[in-house]
Amino acid sequence: MPAELMRESFEIQGGNFDKAGEISGEIKNILRDLGIQAASLRRVVVVAFEAEMNVVMYAARGTLTFVLTDDDVQLEVKDEGPGIPDLELAFQEGYSTASDEMREMGFGFGMGLPNMKKNADELRVETEVGKGTAVFARVRLNSHD
Amino acid sequence: MIELTHGFKISTDKCRGRMQCMRACPTHAIRVKEGKARVIPELCIDCGSCLGVCPTEAISATTINFAELDKFKFKVAVASPALFSQFGMGDTPVQVGRALLDLGFDAVWEYAVDIELIDRAIMEALKKWPGPFPLISNSCPVVVRLIQVAYPSLVEQVIRLEAPRDIAGRELKKRYSRELGVRPEEIAAIYLTPCQAKTISILQPAEGAKSHLDGAVGISEIYNDLLFIMRRNAGKDAPPKPLSGVGEWFLWGAPEGEFPNLPREHYLPVQGLTDVMKVFDDVEKGKIRNIEFLECHACVGGCIGGNLTVENLYVARTKNLRMISGMAEPSADFRQEVERRSASEDFSLRGLLKPRNAGGDVTDLRERVTRRKRADELLKALPLLNCGLCGAPTCRSHAEDVAFSRADLKDCVFLSRDRIGFLRGIYGGNNPDGLDHQSRQRHGERGGRDDG
Repeated sequence: MPAELMRESFEIQGGNFDKAGEISGEIKNILRDLGIQAASLRRVVVVAFEAEMNVVMYAARGTLTFVLTDDDVQLEVKDEGPGIPDLELAFQEGYSTASDEMREMGFGFGMGLPNMKKNADELRVETEVGKGTAVFARVRLNSHD
Repeated sequence: MIELTHGFKISTDKCRGRMQCMRACPTHAIRVKEGKARVIPELCIDCGSCLGVCPTEAISATTINFAELDKFKFKVAVASPALFSQFGMGDTPVQVGRALLDLGFDAVWEYAVDIELIDRAIMEALKKWPGPFPLISNSCPVVVRLIQVAYPSLVEQVIRLEAPRDIAGRELKKRYSRELGVRPEEIAAIYLTPCQAKTISILQPAEGAKSHLDGAVGISEIYNDLLFIMRRNAGKDAPPKPLSGVGEWFLWGAPEGEFPNLPREHYLPVQGLTDVMKVFDDVEKGKIRNIEFLECHACVGGCIGGNLTVENLYVARTKNLRMISGMAEPSADFRQEVERRSASEDFSLRGLLKPRNAGGDVTDLRERVTRRKRADELLKALPLLNCGLCGAPTCRSHAEDVAFSRADLKDCVFLSRDRIGFLRGIYGGNNPDGLDHQSRQRHGERGGRDDG
């Protein structure tokens, strides 16, 4: 197992669209300042943003933990939300349970999980209806064009 | 690392270390140590925010002055469209072109052709581009440098085409060396620029290739002379000299005009560094969907808002709109020239744009993490007031400077008793209770205490 170089946790406020995206922005700044290769950086930022948005849209609160190792970036996003009843469906492009209101704000195109899957090298979702969802994503360093 | 050249210079003699530039710099590239400002080259994006704010006028653009052009046999002006918006409503582009000839240029390039060519090339590139979207315009050198420094993941989305001014330089050298029988090196392609950033894009193009232009003259430098000549010429109907165009004018230079052929819902014009950065933040997160092309200008108002223009931006904009509304259909000659060059020239960018390494010489990830953690630790000792007295614009940048071994933590006035004494030695104010000091504070805004 590669050594952990850095670990930071961030609180995500559910329902706060005004602040949405700030955490993934912060993660991007950290990775940029560390000189992480652009292609990997981009993938991490997209995954982090989608995960952050999911918490903002559906949950009361959540945490995003960012871990950097020699080989990869790991993101762990846990929320106290409604959970996902049908994971398979949630991974289909275009499937969304977003309200009209969210869509009007430009969110909820049903691209969240599919987009995360596309950008992460590993993605695991654990969910329990009524309790919450946990997403684990891994993006390898130095192996993307 | 290759040494980076920048589009301005700071005169150490004139600099009084007043820190206005340091506070204005959007990328925190300036430090004021021992009372003198200096630039961290790899962080500077040549935006020019520092140029106008210096109270002692110590920062100047490295444009060339007109006399330096005498070494060339044949001087051709490539005028930024912004130039034509700088004069009165009644002053036509043809009159401006004629004044440029009277000023000493041997020809004024028909730059509209180059702009049309790149406009077309962008449309073609967009059709072929597989993604990721949006593609980002590269005509503003500041935007390109901002991406290299702060948005490394967007580097691949910067459109890979030459800027129109550069293909103009290439073509005019070819044409005039053929027509006049002189070597291309004897022909000067001079860009008349609305900002110092275009100078740097000529001296040191971001993608690493050599520019086809030989230099840039700021619009503000020749403005008075041009105006004088135009007033003198008023009413006269002198024929233009042979071998000279007079510069048709066009839409570029104003915001929302670069790419009139793109469908509006897929194309987003953005102006001003602050807004450009906001949009780039969202592009990185994948939040900007449905947009194929971003036209970005670091200056509010686009190039007519450049810091080497003279006219008030909004007045210039009015003039620009007037010219657009009165624009004639392109002539047959113009269309023919566009077709001819379009068929024979390659407009793809000659170099490859890469992110700039702003982390100095440390490349090892572990070392960088250690350094960052150290900066985070150091920051806890600092007051977070961003007073700037340490010589760095923010406490965060001071902590980073210390972690990067380019500053001493004790430069912070909160951490060292000696610091204030040291600063008094540089800035004066040794007599804090004296009336003299107070009056100097009040009246000393422009140079009043410089000898102190």
